Amino acid sequence: MSQAGRTGQIPKFRDPVPGRVTFDRWLELFERVPDELIERYHYYGNGDAWSKYLFPPQTFAIYGARHLRRLKFDNSLAALRMWGFVQNETERLFRARQIGKRVVATMGDLGAVPVIVNSFPDCVAFYPDCIWWTPFVTESKVLLDAAAELGIGDATCFSRAALGAFAKHSYFPDPELVIASTGASCDDYSGVEQLAASFASDVLWVEEPVRRECRMSMPECRATVSGTVYEVSTRNFLVKEFERVVGRMEQLTGYNLSDDELRAGVRRANRARRLVSRLRELAYARPVFPAIEMMVIEFGNLHYYSDMDEWVRVLEHLLATVEERVSRRQYVLDEDALRLVWITPPADPLLLTYVEDHGARIVGTEYVINQALELMDEAKPPLEAIAESFLAASLIGSSRARADAAIRQARERKAEGVIISGILGGSHCAMESRLIAGYVKAELNLPVLEFDVAPPAREIDRQLQTRIDAFLELLRGRR
Amino acid sequence: MALERGETTQFRQERLAEIRSQREAGRKVIGYLCLYAPVELIQASGAIPVRLSLGGHEAEIAGTKYLRSDACTFCKSCLGNFENDPLYALVDAVVVANTCDMMRRLPESIMRHFRKPVLEVYVPRTAEALPHRLSEFRRQLELLRGGLGGITGQMAEDDGLRAAVASYNSIRQGLRAIDELRLADAPRVSESRMLALAALSWRLSPEQAGLVLSEAGPAASDPGEAAGRRRPRLMLGGSMLAEDDLWLVELIERRADIVVDVLCTGGRSFAEDVPETEDPLDGLTRFYYGRIPCMHRRPNDAFYDYARRLARERRVDGFVYKTLLYCDAYSFEAKRLKQALGLPMLHLDTDYSYENREQVRTRVEAFLEML
Repeated sequence: MSQAGRTGQIPKFRDPVPGRVTFDRWLELFERVPDELIERYHYYGNGDAWSKYLFPPQTFAIYGARHLRRLKFDNSLAALRMWGFVQNETERLFRARQIGKRVVATMGDLGAVPVIVNSFPDCVAFYPDCIWWTPFVTESKVLLDAAAELGIGDATCFSRAALGAFAKHSYFPDPELVIASTGASCDDYSGVEQLAASFASDVLWVEEPVRRECRMSMPECRATVSGTVYEVSTRNFLVKEFERVVGRMEQLTGYNLSDDELRAGVRRANRARRLVSRLRELAYARPVFPAIEMMVIEFGNLHYYSDMDEWVRVLEHLLATVEERVSRRQYVLDEDALRLVWITPPADPLLLTYVEDHGARIVGTEYVINQALELMDEAKPPLEAIAESFLAASLIGSSRARADAAIRQARERKAEGVIISGILGGSHCAMESRLIAGYVKAELNLPVLEFDVAPPAREIDRQLQTRIDAFLELLRGRR
Repeated sequence: MALERGETTQFRQERLAEIRSQREAGRKVIGYLCLYAPVELIQASGAIPVRLSLGGHEAEIAGTKYLRSDACTFCKSCLGNFENDPLYALVDAVVVANTCDMMRRLPESIMRHFRKPVLEVYVPRTAEALPHRLSEFRRQLELLRGGLGGITGQMAEDDGLRAAVASYNSIRQGLRAIDELRLADAPRVSESRMLALAALSWRLSPEQAGLVLSEAGPAASDPGEAAGRRRPRLMLGGSMLAEDDLWLVELIERRADIVVDVLCTGGRSFAEDVPETEDPLDGLTRFYYGRIPCMHRRPNDAFYDYARRLARERRVDGFVYKTLLYCDAYSFEAKRLKQALGLPMLHLDTDYSYENREQVRTRVEAFLEML
């Protein structure tokens, strides 16, 4: 098999025939992995025993990730490695603090600020936002209850778990700086940031401006690398905001960041973005990789799971695995599976396993993180390039733009249906879902299933199961 | 005393007829939703500015055709009112300040479902008035000036803007003068009257509003039945209190005096004046960027400072905090606000339905008994 790891001789290991496996089978596969291979994978470029992360899946379940037992996983070593790396993040952040790295919480912008923070030596950016999965993965409402104690009750986005995590002081080390982005994004998370600020020693508020609709024919307008049109003055405004981030980071670290270092940071982030882009291209065009791993991969572009260099190596390993499958036409799902585009990431990953188990596959996504998938123009001054890529963000534009992104993918991959998952009380879900569904139906004449993800539980809510089943049946009937 | 409910209704009906007739004569009607929308620019563009601050249960139900049930109650009712309300039907375009997330996303629904042009003004959510933020906000106002000019055919010139600033400042000053009558131990003007006066002032032309306020002030200065009375002194706050929400205020006022509010449809709408600067757009930029903040601004410490100061100055005994269902900006802050103010607080989180009114009555009465 192809694999990318550290330099030196790679112990022989052959992936099984590609497929999706249960938690139990996944554990058996782990037992076949040679010790020498396990020894190869370390975070923070460290060779010491404490920095290993390829643990048996059981470890994470024992430490609380109970939901893993109900999911299905890709059976490759690369996927096993990825899960180990991702599940290990909390430990990694505490280690970062122990070994003298500065831990910076970046909140709300979903993609841009970590590029800057990670350009500083010995600084680690992480997203408390991503803790929204934790209540689901752990099948526990502890964090949601903690958020409720602080004033954020049930009828709002699961991202409130991040507030609970700040209050608990045990999911990540107390950050030395919180960079809280807010603006034309979502209210729920802006509210979380405001309350979380009381737990932070230092907070820098960063504005995320709205992306006004404009056309390339207007002199004020430019396009991002992928073609999102924006106003130059909005980009310049963002550059000013990001200059404040650089300034505050310099204050924090006592280190003056050069343009070349920032440029190098952009190149490193682009390396990850290119790999993810290629993975999306391959995995959504053919059923070579499951949706759940792809969601984890896409979200990795936000903050690289707090270790950019190792995450890039994980991505290289994943890409090599997927490319090999493509070349051999080895699929993990039925080639004839129903083709779906998924809009807004499901907080409960079990939903992705469920639709795949029931004969569908994901061929496109609009997970509100478009800004993290966009390449940055390396020829431009680095802050300008970061700002420009941010202007492709899903949440700062119109619902029409989000719908267009989904429609493009649906057309390209001949999708047969669209799923919009939301959250009860989530501010943008409440305002956008019907509009997006309306645009998709009008332009593609495709069935759309719109539902809210139920609170964390062991199983998917029965009513929702029935709705998904009926939706898939409807799609089959249209063939 | 002047301006009892019947008179308010009469003023409104007359104003509606007047707006209709002016519109037929070619004048444009521009609706706006929030106090971050610069009304002076609308006025100076030759349009009739109308604050769209109606709520209403029926309108909310009508709005669920367009938005999910978990969308902000006010946003749903706004769409419902576009379907049913005669004033909303007269609106030629809407100015929306992108404040909270739901308000930011509302224009797309207004445009899609009602084909009304919407002019959006992005008000940065971050409160610190840094130079580049002020410049960007000024650019937004310049874009709005151009957009309004395109609709009305009259670009707001500096002289017209100065006049509009003076007119609306005069309304604010008039409202403040009446509001200050509540500093007395026996407040001479009620919250329901202040809210009605504020709503009416923003509905009438500045000249008409000036007349109404000049009559309402002296009328209210007579202590009348309030003399010697000592009832619990309350502060009212929370999400936007729509014009239809006066039933709640009247319910509270049966047993207590609301001596101050921190509402965007009440005290915050007239608490400060636009600075009269040589370049009027500079004054508008500074005012609308830096006005006493809505809770959605980040950080929102200035709102807390403002509420604390008013609670102290007005010798407040308790706080009624009324949030709208799914209004994250305000409902998330309820616990923190209670701690920060250190006052007994009643938090009501409701929509516009009639069904919960008896529950609200019980809770209000229990709260007032406790005080």
